[in-house]
Amino acid sequence: MTTMTLKRSDADVAAEIPDRSQAYRVVKGGLVDRRKLLDFSFDGTSYKGFQGDTLASALLANGVHLVGRSFKYHRPRGILSAGSEEPNAIVELRSGARREPNTRATVAELYAGLEANSQNRWPSLAFDALGINALAAPIFAAGFYYKTFMWPASFWEKLYEPMIRRAAGLGHAANAPDPDTYDRMHAHCDVLVIGGGPAGLSAALTAGRAGARVILVDEDFKLGGRLLSENQWIGSQAGVEWAAAALDELISLPEVRILTRTTLFGVYDHGSYGAVERVSDHLAVPGVHAPRQRLWRITAKRAVLAAGAIERPHVFGGNDRPGVMLAGAVRAYVNRYGVLPGRRIAVVTSSDDGWRTVTDVLAAGGQIAAVIDTRRSVPQELRRAAESAGATIITDGYVAGTRGHLRLKAIEVVDSYGGAQSIACDCLAMANGWNPIVHLDSHLSRKPVWNEHIHAFVPAAMPLGMVAAGAATGHFTLADCLATGADVAADAAKECGFERKLYPVPSTEPESAAHTPLWRSPRIKGKAFVDFQNDVAATDVELAHREGFRAVEHLKRYTTLGMATDQGKTSNLAGLSIMAELTGQAIPSVGTTVFRPPFTPVAMGALAGHHRGKEFRATRHVPSHAWCEENGAVFVETGLWLRPAYFPRAGEKDWLESVNREVNTVRSRVGICDVTTLGKIDIQGRDALAYLEKFTANPFGSLPVGKARYAILLREDGIILDDGTIARMGENHYVMTASTANAAKVMQHMEFCRQWLWPEFDVQIASISEQWAQYAVAGPKARDTLRGVVDPEFDISNEAFPFLASANITVGGGIPARLFRISFSGELAYEIAVPVAYGDALWRAIMQSGTPHGITPYGSEALSVMRIEKGHAAGAEINGMTTAADIGLGGMLAKKKDYIGRLMKDRPGLTEPDRPTLVGVRPVDTSKRLRAGTHIITLDATPSLEADQGFLSSVAYSPSNGHWIGIGFISRGPQRIGERVRAYDPVRNEDFEVEICSAVFVDPEGSRMHV
Amino acid sequence: MSEATANVWAPRSAWAGYAKPGRHGRTQGDAGVRLTLRDGIALATVIAADGQTDALRALVSERYGWTLPEPGKSQVSRERGLVWSAPGQWLAVAETRDALRELPDVFRGIAAVTDQSDGRAVVRVSGPNARTLLEKGVAVDLHPRSFQAGRTAVTSISHIGAQLWQLDDAPTYDLAVARSFTGSFWSWLTEAAAEFGYEVEQGSAH
Amino acid sequence: MRIRCPHCGERDNGEFSYLGDATVVRPDGMSASSEAMHDYVYLRDNPAGLHRELWYHGAGCRSWLVVTRDTRTHEIRDVSSARDVALARHTGDAA
Repeated sequence: MTTMTLKRSDADVAAEIPDRSQAYRVVKGGLVDRRKLLDFSFDGTSYKGFQGDTLASALLANGVHLVGRSFKYHRPRGILSAGSEEPNAIVELRSGARREPNTRATVAELYAGLEANSQNRWPSLAFDALGINALAAPIFAAGFYYKTFMWPASFWEKLYEPMIRRAAGLGHAANAPDPDTYDRMHAHCDVLVIGGGPAGLSAALTAGRAGARVILVDEDFKLGGRLLSENQWIGSQAGVEWAAAALDELISLPEVRILTRTTLFGVYDHGSYGAVERVSDHLAVPGVHAPRQRLWRITAKRAVLAAGAIERPHVFGGNDRPGVMLAGAVRAYVNRYGVLPGRRIAVVTSSDDGWRTVTDVLAAGGQIAAVIDTRRSVPQELRRAAESAGATIITDGYVAGTRGHLRLKAIEVVDSYGGAQSIACDCLAMANGWNPIVHLDSHLSRKPVWNEHIHAFVPAAMPLGMVAAGAATGHFTLADCLATGADVAADAAKECGFERKLYPVPSTEPESAAHTPLWRSPRIKGKAFVDFQNDVAATDVELAHREGFRAVEHLKRYTTLGMATDQGKTSNLAGLSIMAELTGQAIPSVGTTVFRPPFTPVAMGALAGHHRGKEFRATRHVPSHAWCEENGAVFVETGLWLRPAYFPRAGEKDWLESVNREVNTVRSRVGICDVTTLGKIDIQGRDALAYLEKFTANPFGSLPVGKARYAILLREDGIILDDGTIARMGENHYVMTASTANAAKVMQHMEFCRQWLWPEFDVQIASISEQWAQYAVAGPKARDTLRGVVDPEFDISNEAFPFLASANITVGGGIPARLFRISFSGELAYEIAVPVAYGDALWRAIMQSGTPHGITPYGSEALSVMRIEKGHAAGAEINGMTTAADIGLGGMLAKKKDYIGRLMKDRPGLTEPDRPTLVGVRPVDTSKRLRAGTHIITLDATPSLEADQGFLSSVAYSPSNGHWIGIGFISRGPQRIGERVRAYDPVRNEDFEVEICSAVFVDPEGSRMHV
Repeated sequence: MSEATANVWAPRSAWAGYAKPGRHGRTQGDAGVRLTLRDGIALATVIAADGQTDALRALVSERYGWTLPEPGKSQVSRERGLVWSAPGQWLAVAETRDALRELPDVFRGIAAVTDQSDGRAVVRVSGPNARTLLEKGVAVDLHPRSFQAGRTAVTSISHIGAQLWQLDDAPTYDLAVARSFTGSFWSWLTEAAAEFGYEVEQGSAH
Repeated sequence: MRIRCPHCGERDNGEFSYLGDATVVRPDGMSASSEAMHDYVYLRDNPAGLHRELWYHGAGCRSWLVVTRDTRTHEIRDVSSARDVALARHTGDAA
């Protein structure tokens, strides 16, 4: 590790050079496996740790406290906690495609070869050039975004934002695709237990023994919660042994599922929960076919929240100095990991449990420099161990500041008489009481309430089906945890239909959870941090107060208190308590903000699971897909469908040439197009016709069996919903098509009409979209081509099967098929349908049969060109804003029946005479290219919103006309045929003359369809 | 019709181009999942006409010996029967296409029948990890306390509409998805099954 | 959010889509005034409390449902088949 050129004594430097031999590892004890030595690296330096370590415990074992730089001021930061609440020790793990920023070292499990790097420093962690930000602290104070970067506005994108981004501690995401897979699992249970500490284990045992289906979730890789970190006894067993025995029993219960390394990150309505399991995060690379992580969607009838509590730091000057830690974390490192976080450890406590740190450190062979209890009186039995170890004991005192640069060297202590002294130490343990984890129970916006007795917010009205136990409710003693866990789980099991049975709660040692928190040291030397991760200091809360941002929601947003990735787990209350003090209110009057999912950050990969890349959403294939692929089709996504857009041939220079050739071939010979994507709906029943008449806007009463008709569907507000065709296949049997884009919507609408509006009709509706492959065969040679596939007993001559005929037929020697003589292209055309299994065969057979006639396959592009040439409205015209009259079909609407949209289509706004109506447009200079979206204005108009007379909705190059054509909506369009206007396109800077014309550019008499 | 054109008229499997028979995924040990592609299966939607449910119940019992399943239930034995799929609506299931061909005539006036044999890709999922595999995609509780042989669910898997019915306590499931989604569904299914090791086999053909 | 479909059982809300107020009744288009139809199409109450609303179980049995939901808490008090509700209402009209 390179050191910098600051003037410091050699002794200082020696103290800060990390020892790579685990010099801080206690000789024995802890739950690490000392037989499994693991190599790892941090900022390029190699270290060793043990199986069972976290990255944080392994770094501490090697004497490394400095692990990061802070977000705004780039202050040196160490390891504060031993859990998921960690605000400071945020590192980048792994490298290459698996590089992962913003990972908490306190929960990252050590594995052989683990590679970690500090973030937010340049050029190195020890010497960070941006540490100068600390000197400029005043401009980075609360609200600095609002004040500093206000003007000039153009500086924001070019200067301010890049500068802030470089300076801010966001780490670097991998810049290669994630090589791992992410799994998803749905799980259901009677009782979900959140947290595997004493309360959670007790709850899981109780519900599991009752026979309930139980899921026990814990974010740690080992069950036991605080039992792993404290020296406590349960009955005749050490807490750790009791937890192991509980685990053994839970494993033996067949209906209990235990998920470790799993964070329950979100609580949703009606018993839905989200959790993420880090299946392979503790491995260098996931096993073959094993996912990196697994997202669990859990549905539980009841949930027991036993998430525990988070210890509160004290607010004093330099409380962010590496070496300043939570007391519970110090005990965790000592007891669970066998690591002494310092040679000389001081303790500042406002609670009885802080004193446990003294006993545990001494038992591990550590030295206690001092104990400062901020309370006036401290029970004699607490003091005994520290006294006999010769530690300085100060009551009714506090810590005002700290000394040291990259590592704590001393604390500045003030005693009850106001006398100040400096006490040398390299680690300070802070015990300021605990906050129940109220995050999960507030995910559904239920505000926690203040409990005066424990000086903390506790869950109030819990979400339905959820109940809390143990430290999560403010019951901090082990006895209470075991008892409340069992009690609420017994109730939960009973509510799920199992017998309520309580087992005797094992005995525990006497214990006191008494504490009187000190929210802020009365005198502060240096910067005292409230929110470590977002660099919010006590002075920022004061500033917010001075500037009037006193409401809790304002305080949060103005200072960014509690807004970092840790959601203020260690900071919120400190900020609130200072605001309470400044405003002279009680903390509950200040209130609290609530938390939202996720409890801890969740990787996007875990949320996406299988659905990324081309699996982002499902893809639907048409029946001719295989043939189209074999024949080089270019595909286009339309909704979920992958459709052939065009079929390029050798020598064609661009898509337009291919599309022109396809159009010309259809208009002169014959073509085939896969139109299976249309929605297809089967309608049967005695009242089928009566029902159809209700939801179609044009009349169907006169449609005979064996005929098809164009159908317009309106919404109830008078706007067109969709259009399609309806064919009458039998007396009470109709088959309807809907457009590709609206197929699902139309089906839903039809069910709405059938079930809700007119339930008395006898009508049966079934989607047959997936059952039938349907192809358009169009062009003068369409009939000749079809004759090669339709079985000879069916006469498809113009006389026997005229325009708009429909019939059940067979093809290929008895394969059932449906034939409709309908035309979208304006040519002699059919749509022919077969069961999808024969779709591929029918396509190949038609290609074969059409070869002598010069058949071409055509895609969605040519289809679109031909419908524009014919002036047929499609998605760009039926756009959710237009009426049947707008697209020129007002005359088709029925007069003598009630149908959906009948009254509302005549609203004044929809019938006013100036309303833009569908017409065609062609450029006066035929070399000009029209553009969809182009506005229409008169020849002498000055372009403005008021001068706008309409727009072009669809344009195409028309090979049949030899120039670009367009259709669109122009005010009073049909009365202005022949008038010249301007096509004005400010986006592309185009402005040229066009002529309003009929929307039908090919065969205006419509004779070709009838031959 | 010539020999050459006759050959064109072969049906294409819903799974063609997507599924490959054989062992895939994890290679050690026995396959945790068996996926049987059920190409030959016949399916038809049967929707009772208004007020005709009792008549339909009597008819299926008399003619086929089936009972009309209650909501959420299926009655499939020896590969034939009915699976509930919506209020007043069932999916008739048979092993061969011929078996259901007479249904529209038999049920005329009592129920509307629409052939769906080609509209669904059906796969039989069995093996020791069958339930766990489905739990990855199905949000419905498949635990034996909630879902047993003779139960069915219309739901979605991996955002794709699906219907499944449990055939036995092994458990074995038949799973049907809309045919145009076969490729995407197979992609999900096989990625989810890879960790267990899976064996793909062809069921009865047309 | 989970909704207990009367036909399929309890399902995740991803299987459903929402339409809106189930208390408005479509007037007959031949006899209604355009004002009455306007009210049916556009006018909605927005109660803080129990609300009867139409949901569609599109990814399940394709049934329309009348869900009685407390808009303040999301608590669902009742789920009925919309067709049954509509039939009962029509019978009520006739009586």
